[in-house]
Amino acid sequence: MSVATPPPDTPTTRHDAVVEALKRRFGEQGVREQATLTGWPVLWVAREALTEVLGFLRDKSQAFEMLYDLSAIDERLRSHRRDLPDADFTVFYHLMSLSRNRDVILKVALGETDLSLPSVASIYPNANWYEREVWDMFGITFEGHPHLTRILMPPTWNGHPLRKDHHARATEFDPYTLTVVGQDKEQQALKFDPEHWGMRRKHDDSEFMFLNLGPNHPSAHGAFRIVLQLDGEEIIDCVPDIGYHHRGAEKMAERQSWHSFIPYTDRIDYTGGVMNNLPYVLAVEKLAGIQVTERAATIRVMLAEMFRITSHLLFLGTYLQDLGAMTPVFFTFTDRQKGYEVIEAITGFRMHPAWYRIGGVAHDLPRGWEKLVQGFLDWMPKRLREYERAMMENAIVRERTRHVAAHTTTEALAWGITGPNLRATGFDFDLRKQRPYSGYENFDFEIPVGSNGDAFDRGQLRIDEMRQSLRIIQQCVDHMPAGDYKADHPLTTPPPRERMLQHIETLITHFLQVSWGPVLKPNESLQMIEATKGINGYYLTSDGNTMSYRTRIRTPSFPHLQHIPALMRGGFVPDLIAHLGSIDFVMADVDR
Amino acid sequence: MAYTLTRATDAVATENSRYPLNERRRVEDPMKQQVHRNVFTGKLEEVLNSAVNWGRKNSLWPYNFGLSCCYVEMTTAFTAPHDIARFGAEVIRASPRQADFMVIAGTCFLKMAPVIQQLYDQMLEPKWVISMGSCANSGGMYDIYSVVQGVDKFLPVDVYVPGCPPRPEAFLQGLQLLQDSIQEERRPLSWVVGDQGVYRAEMPSQREKNREWRIQATELRTPDSI
Repeated sequence: MSVATPPPDTPTTRHDAVVEALKRRFGEQGVREQATLTGWPVLWVAREALTEVLGFLRDKSQAFEMLYDLSAIDERLRSHRRDLPDADFTVFYHLMSLSRNRDVILKVALGETDLSLPSVASIYPNANWYEREVWDMFGITFEGHPHLTRILMPPTWNGHPLRKDHHARATEFDPYTLTVVGQDKEQQALKFDPEHWGMRRKHDDSEFMFLNLGPNHPSAHGAFRIVLQLDGEEIIDCVPDIGYHHRGAEKMAERQSWHSFIPYTDRIDYTGGVMNNLPYVLAVEKLAGIQVTERAATIRVMLAEMFRITSHLLFLGTYLQDLGAMTPVFFTFTDRQKGYEVIEAITGFRMHPAWYRIGGVAHDLPRGWEKLVQGFLDWMPKRLREYERAMMENAIVRERTRHVAAHTTTEALAWGITGPNLRATGFDFDLRKQRPYSGYENFDFEIPVGSNGDAFDRGQLRIDEMRQSLRIIQQCVDHMPAGDYKADHPLTTPPPRERMLQHIETLITHFLQVSWGPVLKPNESLQMIEATKGINGYYLTSDGNTMSYRTRIRTPSFPHLQHIPALMRGGFVPDLIAHLGSIDFVMADVDR
Repeated sequence: MAYTLTRATDAVATENSRYPLNERRRVEDPMKQQVHRNVFTGKLEEVLNSAVNWGRKNSLWPYNFGLSCCYVEMTTAFTAPHDIARFGAEVIRASPRQADFMVIAGTCFLKMAPVIQQLYDQMLEPKWVISMGSCANSGGMYDIYSVVQGVDKFLPVDVYVPGCPPRPEAFLQGLQLLQDSIQEERRPLSWVVGDQGVYRAEMPSQREKNREWRIQATELRTPDSI
């Protein structure tokens, strides 16, 4: 039985429904199809028609409620572009219909001399930050954008890093120095100017207070800054400021081999560990045409769910700490330690094992793993019950979080909210069920959903999710398939060692694959997974090389932070802190 | 033991001065100077110094400052399984003005560097810096346009903790190394007593110290069993 095949839930008839509807509406010439391995229709549309096409797809008849991703590709150095429209830059829009469980990807070709597009922020509100990111990284302007400024790089930066002619390494620049005057200049550039954002400094009788929360604040969970416009305790408006954690992971992918990029994925959602490897290796395996063994897929699921639990435990501790409860963090970190004992015994590392490989995992499970995992499975349920009793049933916690920062499903979809934060609104959408990958269809588990979409539901939901993860891990322990932990495929990296020792030919191929890395055929592929914080996806573009031509990493926390102002206007400062705690974000998952 | 000397009066900054501002000089142990060779005052100063240092090193208050992944491991060291309170460093402070040392736990980003410098400047003397993890030490695996290749490009670092991220135990070891170095420091005992320079001991390199027994390992544990 094949386990890690591309999602089988995408019959061609459903593709055609969207494509046909578009062709009926915009003519055969208006929509051009591109064959890819993404599993969804990829359609090129003209710049002039873009707004109309998006409006049509957003509409009830097509029901693409969510702009899942928006980014660009610098096409100027791409050599394999047969049958594609001429383009120096391509901007792509990935739309998702969660109600009908189907996607469509639109691409717009742009020439180097005229890098501009109409802004679609009026159709999809979360396009705002994505368009700013594209401007920052590629220098493509969006007409009609409310605030097109840099988002990831410092305001004083020159150039657009994801362009192919921009250098990647820090060591290609002069060594970094910070002078007294330079320090002052940078700090002045970061200063918040309310007028710049169209904010008033006072209303009729009183002045507003502008409070700068971050970039280093105990409840900001890392290098995140949010400027609040306050009238007393009430938040009139707020402006999140990100980019303090931009590690250039997407640029990095363009200079690492397919194999050696794996450790960088660990550090995207840094509490998610090997969970981050999963979408990446699955997308690479689609490009390579590898089907992993059942054992490898099950090992992957088990470790990914282990990390879901440790990540949710971290969330739970810090969420309650942000609400003022000091003790929970000590309890949840004790459990995390128990989890790490298992993870470390299996993978050899704690936070970032980088343990998945193209075509399998790094090594087989060690002898005696069942007992170790079982110990963790026996330990956790009573602890989870204790957390519920001590914390979620606690009157103060309930008062602080019930009906605080609540939003509806419609609002969540419009802002690109995914994962537990979406399910807290009562909407049942989990990729492990809706589009199973890596063999999740073989497991028996439920998807917990909330009802109010408030800070309390977001917390409670994660406790319920941990229970389901424990259920999945228990099934892994009970039914771990026998077999190889690596696929028998020429592109499996590193290749099984036994194959190298036969004759000089096998030795040479082994050497090339380990030193240069595997060469993947030119194509595009996509894999989305239900990560710890929401839907995480890798969109890979291969140009027939040992490295990726473009790796787009779509992370869930980016839209989650963008949603804050819309949600918090009219709220109070302590509610904002409760909300920040309940989102569950890490800055690496926002800025990458 | 050799010492590095910095003086507050050296740090007169002009516009183009580069951080770190203090000039550093290598000097001999100040206690070895002729004036301290007096049995009575020399001993008294030594006893005073070591008593003050003993107090300092056992009540280090960390600044609640985190950048990325390493911060999670640093926080782990603060919780029950590792219990940093054993070393008197559990009083985590949200304000730099109340903190004794800062752990650069994570990647030092270009956009964040001026902010880090500002926060460091807000800390009061005596203050120390631990650089935690490969990114803070040297940029690590992120040789990329948005990352400063090591926080020591602008901050004076006392202890480097290797790892990506370092285990909580490694962080605790780094803390103990900082404590050892604080024990050897010579700081002014008062603003009217003696030399006003800050003498930091040059501690022995851990790599050289441990090389001998480390290279004796010939067999590594197999990953085949737990």
